[in-house]
Amino acid sequence: MKSMSLYVERESTVHHIDPITKLVYIAAAIALPIILPSLHTAWICMLISFVILGMGRVLTRSLPIIGFVGFILLTVVIIQGFFHVGNETVLFRLGSWPFYEEGLLFAMGITFRALNIVGAFLILVLTTKPSDLVESLVRKGLSPRIGYVLSSVFQIIPQMMATVDTITDAQRSRGMETEGKLMTRIKAFLPLIGPVVLSSLIDTKERTLALQVRGFNVKGSKTFLNEEKMYRYGSAMRWSMLAIVIGAVIWRVIA
Amino acid sequence: MSKRSMWSISTAALVLIPVAVGINYIGKLFAGVLKLPLWLDAIGTVLSSMLAGPVIGGLSGLINNIIYGLTMDPISFVYALTSVFIGLAAGIMAHKGWISSWGKAAVVGLVVGLTAVVISTPLNIWFWGGQTGNLWGDIVFGYVLNATKSVWLASFVDELVVDLPDKLLTVLAAYGIYRMLPKSLIHMYKNNDNIESL
Repeated sequence: MKSMSLYVERESTVHHIDPITKLVYIAAAIALPIILPSLHTAWICMLISFVILGMGRVLTRSLPIIGFVGFILLTVVIIQGFFHVGNETVLFRLGSWPFYEEGLLFAMGITFRALNIVGAFLILVLTTKPSDLVESLVRKGLSPRIGYVLSSVFQIIPQMMATVDTITDAQRSRGMETEGKLMTRIKAFLPLIGPVVLSSLIDTKERTLALQVRGFNVKGSKTFLNEEKMYRYGSAMRWSMLAIVIGAVIWRVIA
Repeated sequence: MSKRSMWSISTAALVLIPVAVGINYIGKLFAGVLKLPLWLDAIGTVLSSMLAGPVIGGLSGLINNIIYGLTMDPISFVYALTSVFIGLAAGIMAHKGWISSWGKAAVVGLVVGLTAVVISTPLNIWFWGGQTGNLWGDIVFGYVLNATKSVWLASFVDELVVDLPDKLLTVLAAYGIYRMLPKSLIHMYKNNDNIESL
């Protein structure tokens, strides 16, 4: 069964840091460029995110995603360079179309900020096992019912994908066309998705019974199967990030 | 017997959420396989709203984007709010009885589409400076921005062009599936905890 997570198993310090600290890092990485909205904060934050990805030895794995986002950001640079509202200083001309400096700087700001946020999320996504993330969220007070929902998605989707293959084959063998004109392809959509949806909904009935029989709704505190793994410097890291954010707010107010 | 409130959560409804996320995933997959010019990646969210109400719909939307963000595309964390509102809008409309015919379902589709546009536009402006990342929409964005000098208007039109047809067809597809479902299944999510006495 295909695993459906971007998680990369490596041996690195970043992998040992607990998921909550990584979540705090994401919050700080988003907050800092908003508190201090200058181009310099944006690129410094972006660089820090990329350095941490490098320390986690997952930088090469993050390149396809960064490349995809980068492509969209390229169109942002093009469109803002030509059409940004505050455009005044012409940088160069492409035929009769002037490309402006203000638009370019504005687009650079967006680019740094977007890559910073994507980078910060990638740290969490690439170096944390989804089940670990869910478990530490439940420890921090997330309802175990929601925790179950989150982690069961990772089991249900591969199951449903297997059903998808069966149903596609079955419908093809009955002679349904899945290729050709747009109208043919639109008509094929419901007969393909309908049976998958129906069978997965019927499965939920059994799953509901199975869960209720095992006391899913019982009130009281739940215990955990795995022992909690604490990262030694986790809380120090969280507090220092909080201090940096507060420092930034004070800096913004004074300067 | 009192009617269940539209804000309540039963175990059956909770178990529906992962399936809704799976349906979203498969909808997107089939739209890709059949090379349809749409995403159709919210069918599960809308269907779960129709079956179990706005809270489950909104939760499905939220969890959908978290899972997408963890497994495929971190950008989808940014748009989690849009998904939540798609689920809420569809769920409230469905609870008020707007899913009794194709015509009414189309109205739900337009409302859901507009909700998505209204929530996504500020997110687009904050994250991308107003664009959507969709080629056709962004051409419209450049054109409107150049003509009117209003980023908000340009971004709104960009998102409208891209999102409204997609969400309309998403809701219609979800409604088409909803009509095919056996009654026993529909009642499981609506009356799960109640025992009827004769």
